[in-house]
Amino acid sequence: MTKDPHELYWLKPGRYYLQGSEACVEGALMAGCRVFAGYPITPASEALEHAARRFPQVGGRFIQMEDEIGSASVLIGASWGGTKAMTVTSSPGFSLMQEAISIGIMSETPMVIVDIQRPGPGQGYITASQEDVMQARWGHHGEGAIIALAPASVQEMFDLTIEAFNLSERWRTPVLVMAEEPVAHLRELLYVGERKKINIFNRKKPQDLGIKPDAYLPWGHEVVAPMANWGDGYNVNFVGLVHKEDGNVTDWSPQVNYDCTRRLLSKIEENAREIAQIETKFIKGSRNVVISYGAVSRTAIEAVMEAREQNGLDLSYVRLKTLWPFPEESLREVINDVDNIFIPEMNFGMMKHPIVEALRDRCKNFVSIPSIGILHSPEHILSKIVEETK
Amino acid sequence: MLKYLKEEGLMGARLPLLLCPGCGHGQVLNYTLNAVDRLIKEDKIAKEKFLFISGVGCSSRLTSHYLNFDSGWTMHGRAVAVATGALLANPEFRVVVFTGDGDVASIGGNHFIHACRRNMDLTIVCMNNGLYGMTGGQQAPTSPRDMITTTTPYGNTEEAFDLCQMAEVSGASYVARWTTAHPHQVIKAIMKGIRKKGTAFIEILSQCPVHRKEEPAEMLAAYKRITIPVAKAKEGDKEKILVGEFCDHDKPDWNASYQRVIDRYKSKDV
Amino acid sequence: MKPMPRLWIDERYCKGCLICVEVCPTNAIASSNTINARGYVIPIEQDMGNCKVCSLCELMCPDFAIAIETNTTK
Repeated sequence: MTKDPHELYWLKPGRYYLQGSEACVEGALMAGCRVFAGYPITPASEALEHAARRFPQVGGRFIQMEDEIGSASVLIGASWGGTKAMTVTSSPGFSLMQEAISIGIMSETPMVIVDIQRPGPGQGYITASQEDVMQARWGHHGEGAIIALAPASVQEMFDLTIEAFNLSERWRTPVLVMAEEPVAHLRELLYVGERKKINIFNRKKPQDLGIKPDAYLPWGHEVVAPMANWGDGYNVNFVGLVHKEDGNVTDWSPQVNYDCTRRLLSKIEENAREIAQIETKFIKGSRNVVISYGAVSRTAIEAVMEAREQNGLDLSYVRLKTLWPFPEESLREVINDVDNIFIPEMNFGMMKHPIVEALRDRCKNFVSIPSIGILHSPEHILSKIVEETK
Repeated sequence: MLKYLKEEGLMGARLPLLLCPGCGHGQVLNYTLNAVDRLIKEDKIAKEKFLFISGVGCSSRLTSHYLNFDSGWTMHGRAVAVATGALLANPEFRVVVFTGDGDVASIGGNHFIHACRRNMDLTIVCMNNGLYGMTGGQQAPTSPRDMITTTTPYGNTEEAFDLCQMAEVSGASYVARWTTAHPHQVIKAIMKGIRKKGTAFIEILSQCPVHRKEEPAEMLAAYKRITIPVAKAKEGDKEKILVGEFCDHDKPDWNASYQRVIDRYKSKDV
Repeated sequence: MKPMPRLWIDERYCKGCLICVEVCPTNAIASSNTINARGYVIPIEQDMGNCKVCSLCELMCPDFAIAIETNTTK
């Protein structure tokens, strides 16, 4: 049953027993990622170590950079150099990468950054936390939307990393995988299917659309511009300044400024229905909903099932697989009129805000189940729910 | 050399360069394009292989949207790291990094010394004007002691870096310093740097006439007076700035070393 | 007799820095009284009879605004 993945190009179909961090790296290799840059940080170092072993095996390149800023910068260069690229870090390193994420958004660069969250602020601690979920959306300077996924299991560390690459290539944007220490350190069964059945998306290039170099607009043609890479013979000038569609940076008129930033926002936000995913259980007709994400959803589902089976409570379960763009439309499709919405999080109430904003007219009572300094147990979540619904 | 520049894009004029009249950085671009032109002709290197990466600042503006090559105008101080990423994706790029003294040695100092340590196959063309030009003439880590700048209004109380020594000590393969008043030497140094497998660091003293409030032609003449080639320097020339080649090694670049790992450990399934 | 080399000066790009005037070893170039559209004083040929086609003017121009033309080039 257990196969040693350390000698394979990508995981062959079968069952594996891997750590979340390792599954994440294997997902990247399956998606075609061939450049990995990172800097050691607890609890992300295992991903780096696994990548250092695996990337040469597939003919890729691994580099341990001198800091997280360098790692994120390598992603920009590697992506424009024509390769899928990834880094794995934790919260303090994530803060350092914000400038690179910002320029990745402006230049519309496909890249994947995995943040294995740990408590903060400051050096904080090295265990469970979901304190970066707002930084994911708002941490980079400037206006611009981003995609952030929340894996909840080792299987999802594999599947959602592949999905992250697909989304980044499809929408030409940095994509964040907001994992947590429990999921990264967990060892579970991983089921891998045949590669040809796994959907892998690669960036559209002007060559594919028959656009010649003299007619090419690096940020034009379509909502998501086809991307010519360095070395393709298109003489493409990468810029981070507000630009016209042909890359001209001489015109700083208010119109160019507005158009450029508006474009970046609407590219993601207007396609939120397609991008953002949720998972639901027992939702039809339920008056009490538990909305969770990431590691907490593992204990939340236990609490919900116990509440239904043992206590006969009417509780349902919604899991946010995508944090950003916020799945407002999807939530409004499944939640019509409820009495209570419970939001357990390993922070003091972050995703609570967009949830309240999205469902304010559908529910009168939003109850945050905030951080207790460690991963919520099912008992703790259930006790808070019982207290509220008494 | 205009064939290597984009005079007009599809949406408007790009030239002339936005740099100030008499700025040395325009001259460095001229010399670099001459060097690249000769390499394309003499070494038969395909034009598509060249890649120009820069950070932020006056020197970095050269790649903003003027070049008829693949280029990247990236983040302040991170040009070398982005260039490292490009080389990881495709080791065949001939990467030239346009940077300034502040961009490479202040905010970018860490990436600079590590790239030299790794001997990444890039050519760093550092345009050193001893100050921060784009932001208004503040001090830089290369500003000499006592210099008056906008952030040292009472005179600089700090010493300056010797960028070439930093590059050499960190492990660069080829290190040279010239000035904008030495056109042919700069062209040869850049050609040698691009040909060299490994990190080439070429510091070019480049005049900033606006912030130093001097005439560009006079600053060029001064560069000739205050510098002395390494080969000719004697004990009594301590006041002069050394120019010339400081080191010239042939050793494996990062990619040559890593390729051996790939060749040895690559999976049999590939 | 060899035809005299000529200077090609692009008024759109010249910024009047006068580096070409100063570095010319034969004083073939001089500053003029002409101001271009950007308000810069542009150079003109002064005495091309002594021009040695060293091309320093072309090479050292920061704005690609001047070039040497001989009948055998361009």
